[in-house]
Order: sequence, then structure tokens, then C-alpha cells
Amino acid sequence: MTDRHPSIAPPLSNHRHVVATSVYVSLRRESEMPLIVKDHTWTQNQNTVYISVPLKGVKPASVHVTCTDEYLKVSFPPFLFEVFLFGSINEERSEARIGNGVAVFTLQKRRDESWEQLFTNIDKDKQKQIREQAVLKVQQKEAEKSKAKAARIQQEKKYALETMMKLENKERDRIQKMKDEECARATAELDFWRETQRKTAEEKENQQKTRGTGPQDNQPVNQKTVTLMRNTGDTTSGQRSRKQTAKDLPAPRSAGCIQISFTPRVFPTALRESRVPEEEEWLKKQAEARRAVDTDLAELDDLREDERNPDWLKEKGDKLFMSGNYQAAVNAYNLAIKLNRKIPALFSNRAACHLKLRNLHKAIEDSSQALELLKPAVAANASARLKAHVRRGTAFCELELYVEGLQDYQAALEIDPHNAALRADSDKICEIIQGTT
Amino acid sequence: MSLEKPQIIAHIQKSLNYTVFDSQWIPCSAKFVCMGNFARGSGVLQIYEIQHGELQLVREIEKAKPIKCGTFGATSLQQRHLATGDFDGSLNVWNLEVPESPVYSVKAHKEIINSIDGVGGLGIGDGAPEIVTGSRDGTVKVWDSRQKDTPVVNMEPMEGETKRDCWTVAFGHAFNDQDRCVCAGYDNGDIKLFDLRNMSLRWETNIKNGVCSVEFDRKDINMNKLVATSLEGKFHVFDMRTQHPTKGFASVSEKAHKSTIWQVRHLPQNRDIFMTAGGAGNLHLWKYEYPAQRTKKGADDVDMGVAGSVNLLQNVTLSTQPISSLDWSPDKQGLCVCSSFDQSVRVLIVTKLNTV
Repeated sequence: MTDRHPSIAPPLSNHRHVVATSVYVSLRRESEMPLIVKDHTWTQNQNTVYISVPLKGVKPASVHVTCTDEYLKVSFPPFLFEVFLFGSINEERSEARIGNGVAVFTLQKRRDESWEQLFTNIDKDKQKQIREQAVLKVQQKEAEKSKAKAARIQQEKKYALETMMKLENKERDRIQKMKDEECARATAELDFWRETQRKTAEEKENQQKTRGTGPQDNQPVNQKTVTLMRNTGDTTSGQRSRKQTAKDLPAPRSAGCIQISFTPRVFPTALRESRVPEEEEWLKKQAEARRAVDTDLAELDDLREDERNPDWLKEKGDKLFMSGNYQAAVNAYNLAIKLNRKIPALFSNRAACHLKLRNLHKAIEDSSQALELLKPAVAANASARLKAHVRRGTAFCELELYVEGLQDYQAALEIDPHNAALRADSDKICEIIQGTT
Repeated sequence: MSLEKPQIIAHIQKSLNYTVFDSQWIPCSAKFVCMGNFARGSGVLQIYEIQHGELQLVREIEKAKPIKCGTFGATSLQQRHLATGDFDGSLNVWNLEVPESPVYSVKAHKEIINSIDGVGGLGIGDGAPEIVTGSRDGTVKVWDSRQKDTPVVNMEPMEGETKRDCWTVAFGHAFNDQDRCVCAGYDNGDIKLFDLRNMSLRWETNIKNGVCSVEFDRKDINMNKLVATSLEGKFHVFDMRTQHPTKGFASVSEKAHKSTIWQVRHLPQNRDIFMTAGGAGNLHLWKYEYPAQRTKKGADDVDMGVAGSVNLLQNVTLSTQPISSLDWSPDKQGLCVCSSFDQSVRVLIVTKLNTV
């Protein structure tokens, strides 16, 4: 049914749910029976039936029409008008006009005949059946319509997308074409240039053939220069000036030697090899170590000024070690360490003393402490680390902990792979390990 | 509407079955030579010709040792002999028509020759043709094919100096019979400029990162510009016309490629345009703009140079592997050949260079 309506009207068979009040009203009404409208009027002619239903003051927006081929229901809360039609009508070609306080329905009959009455008399069950059918039909129609709408939207989206893609492709093709044109043009030029090259090469050959061999070398033998003959007609891609006459080359340069030196760096590695952050860290640590002096020790009060200087104490310790007085050296180092716990050399040297004194556990402790202080591992503290590893390794081996000893020797070898003594020692340890297992 | 910027078009690409280190155009022809090494450890020279949009292999020459670099710079246009440096440190000059035995051969260095350059040939410049080689043993040597076995100039580290690898060499300032300069770049970032006329070190500087490639914009003029490329994507353009006694040459530096810049080559037809080849398989085309004033008075009233600026004209990514070598054709503007570590060689055409 098409719906022509001057003001806003819901299209036919449209389940538009309305404002809360109407819902409220309809809820209220559903608990009560709607008021049946009986004061409708109808006329007919051969092929149409006109039904006019007064709206009794209800707004057209709240009018809800359900129509099938045999049944018409107009619901405008609180009123209800329904009619089971005498004959069947063509719902699609029928019209409803809602406005001006009245709803006028123009129903097209299926069969051109005159109806005796508007209503048919059918029993309650049939009525119920027809009502249900009508509702179903309306629902179906609704579903179909929404499906159709969705399909249409989908279609349109697809179309839009396709057009977009087409446009983009066109753009891309255009650019590609331009590039290809450039390419083709460049290739053509290239081929042309090559042809000219070839032709001039052939010409040159022919000319050389007709001229015969060029003049012989009559330069002194030790010079071994070659006279260059140029054909006067040579126009090969004249981008550089050509020398027309034979050229004598200057003699080879007299030998010379230039000595060079390379840019020094604090660490002798190129930027990419240097591990600058670690190196900076190491430098900072060294600087700090030098400054750290632990001075709140009571025993220090009765020490001479010299003896408060860790460096002086270290030197004293070194001298005592050299002269064989290991216990005294240990004392010196002890004191130095009390003053400054951050100097790795002190621990390392004390470890060497303990080694000589056969205090192996203490030696291991001290060299471990030294290695701790020698982190991060950089090129600058390599030799110190080497010594510490060797001392600790020796101590382990003396304690017959050969596996740990081997680990230390291998670490030492990593630092200095070319040390033959180290290699020999670590090989010996390997053998011992393999011998005992 | 047509494309206005120069376009870099990959005209031909050919996959090879060996690692190619260098490719050079044979002057006055549409042929080029590729140098490299086979997987079996022997060196190879292949000559290709461009025909109808494809590369035709004209000749393949196999040699005992892998070949790292080559140049036609020191040979005459008639002879077109190729000078190559190989992995063993030998310098050989080949006549490609008769490649069985070299025209000149010498054991130039103890270690691999990383870079080679020639000057005085091809009708460019005056003076005797010379070849310079730079090697991993830290020395740079200049050779004359008329003198056997010993170099004419040897630039070596002093006694007791730890040697640094020399990665690149270039000739320049060869504007008359006597003058000549060699510029060498080392792996610790040193750039040294040697004056061969005075047999002395004229200038040196350090750019912190290893120098992969140096080139003067022209070999046969009073030194004008020098481009040095390095690791970590930086290159420097030095203005070589004005040397300050302490500050040296003015320079401008640019970061590009985000990876090692393997090679720089100036366009033979326009010395302000150059192309850099990067470790990510990309090529950048640059143009150098001169400043309004090339010199200015420094604080102590001594002239110092003013560096200009560099503009990127175009860039293109051709492969995923570094492009290790690049050579412009001296005969056709815009034609260049490049080889990369994905075992392929490409012929490129750069358009619109005459309107740049």
C-alpha cells in the first residue's frame, strides 16, 4: 500500500515505535480492551472500496495500519478498527490517506464485483487465525524490507569502494606510464648512442686499416712511452677536449716516501671498535678510587703522614714482596686497604703475597675482590685482570680444585692468547683433570 | 604534467653467480667490466655489453685470486687497460683483449688491496699516468707502469706505529704535469691528503668513523671539493679551495642512508652532482650548492673556506644488500652501473640531469 499523506505519517506496515507516552498508553490500553470504532463509513464501486474511519482527535502519527489481502486493522490508541473484508483485495495497490481527522482507505478489489457488505461473518477462531496471519505477514514484509535495505546499502558501499579503487589504480597507472615513458625514452637514447659508438668505432677501424700501421716507436728504450696518434676525424662523444698531436709523457716520478702517523686516541681503537661507555666508566672508577680515603679509623692517629697514603703503602708492600718478606708486605697492604678499599692493585698484590705464604683461601678471596673491582672489562685493565686470574687459578690448583683453576686460566688466555707459559699451564691442568676422572 | 625531479630508473638488472665487488665502464663503449670472486675462491672478470635492453656476456676471464677493485683511470683511450687490485695484494694491469698475462704486474702490498685509482689516462689531465693503491696493511702506494717492482711513492706508517687499514684512495689536483694529490681514508676515521709534488702530508683530519670512500669532484682541476663517506650514514663535503693553516678545510656533513655509505661518485658531466650508495641497498642523488662567498676572513685575519649545502635530489631503494660499487658512464650522461652484495649488477639511467 502506498501512503500519501500531507503531514508526517508512518508508512503503511511500518512498526515505528513511538514516544514513551504512547507506549505507556498502549501498555495501559493492552491491559484494557481498546475501544472498537464502529462509526466508519464505506462506499464502493466496481473495483474499489473506500473506507473512511474518523480519527476522533488522535494524531495521525499514532495511527498504525495493518493490512493484508483479507483483513484491515487500524489501531490508533485508544481506538481500534478492524474489518475482515468481504472479498480479497490487492494490498499492494491499495492506498491509505491519513489526515484531517480521518483515515481514508482506498482498497483495490481483486475481483471486480460488488460487495454486499464490508464485513464477512466468520467465527472467532477464524478471526484469530486471520489476525495472526496478518501479523506474521507484516513481520515478514518488514524483515524483507530491512534485508533489501541492507543489501542496497552493501551494494552502494561496494560500488563506492570499486570506484575509489579504480580511481587510485588509474592514478598509479598514470604515474607508472610516465615512468615507463621516461624509461623508454632513455633506452632509445641509449640505443642510439650505442649505435653511434659502434659506427664511429667501425670508422676508426677502417681508417686505421687504410693508413697502415702507425709510425714506429723511436723513443729511447728506457722511457717506454707510447706515442698516441689521433685521427683528425675522430668525434667520439666530444665531451672532453682532444689533443691532436702526439704527446710525450713526463718521466716516472722519482721515488719518494712519506711517513704518516695515525690519530692517537686515549684508547687505540677506532670509534666503532671502542666501547666508549665502558671505558669512560673505568676511567671514572679509577679517578674515584684515587680519591676515596677512609679516614675515620682511630688507629690512624698514631700513624705517620706517609703511612696514611695508600700509594706509599702499596709501594712499601711491593718492595717488601720483592725482598721476600711476604708477611710484612701483607701488613702493608692490609693498612692500605683499610685506608682505601677501592684500589684493585692492593687486593691483587696481597693475593700474590698470600699465595707465597700458602694462605690459599685468602689468596682466592683477594684475587676475587680484585677482579670485582676491575669491572668493567676494558683494554686498559687487561693486564691487571690477567694477573688476578692467574693468581686465583694457581691458588685453586694448589687446593686441587682443578676445574675452577682451569676456568681462571682460560679467562686469562682469553685476555692474552699469545702467552705460551699460560697455554702450557692450562694444558697441564687439562691433563690432570682428564687423568683423575 | 611530467616528472620534474631526476628519476633513477633501474634499466637492466642481472643476477650473477659470484660475489661482485666492483664494476667499471670501459671508456668509449657500451660495455662494462664486473670484478669479483667465485665461491670456489678464484677471481673473475666479466665483460658485459648492453644490447636491446639486456646484458650480453661478452667475455669471462677467471684468475687465481679474487679481484677487489679496478680502474681505467691510468690508461689511454686506445689501449683501455684495466688495472686491478686483488685479495692477495697484487696490482695487475690487463689488456682485456689478451687477458692471459698482465701487461704490468707487481706484488704491491702484503694484504688485500682495498681501493685503487688511476690518473693521467683517458685524455683527462696532464702528467704521467699513475695508479694508487690502498691496502689493509696501512700503506698507500703510487705506481707508474713504466717502473717495475717499486712504487714511485710510498705512504707508510712510521716505525712502531700501529697500522690502520686504508679503505679508500683517490687522486686529485692533477691540473698540470707536476701537481698531484692523493687522498686516503682509513678505518679509524683518518683522512690524509698527500701532496706528491712536495712529497709531504698536506692535510689530515679525523671524522671519527671509518672512511669508506673518498672522491674529488674532478681529478684534473685545482682541487675543488672532496666528498668523504663513512660508517654510520654520514658523509662530509670539504671545500678544498681554501686551506686554513690550523683549521684545514671547511666542510659540511650530512646524515643519510641510516647505514654505512659504501661509495660516492661524482657525475662526470657535472661536478656538483654526486650519488651515494648505502648499506641498505639505496642510492641517493645529491646536488651541492655553493655558498654566496666561498671564503671569509677568520678571527686572525686569515682566509678560511666556507662550506655550502647539499640537497637531496632523489633516492631509490634497489635491493636489501649494500650497493658496494657505483660507476657513471663517462660517455652518456645519466647512465651508471652499480653492483651490490646480492650478487647482482644493475644498469641505471638517471633522467633530467641536464635540467638540475
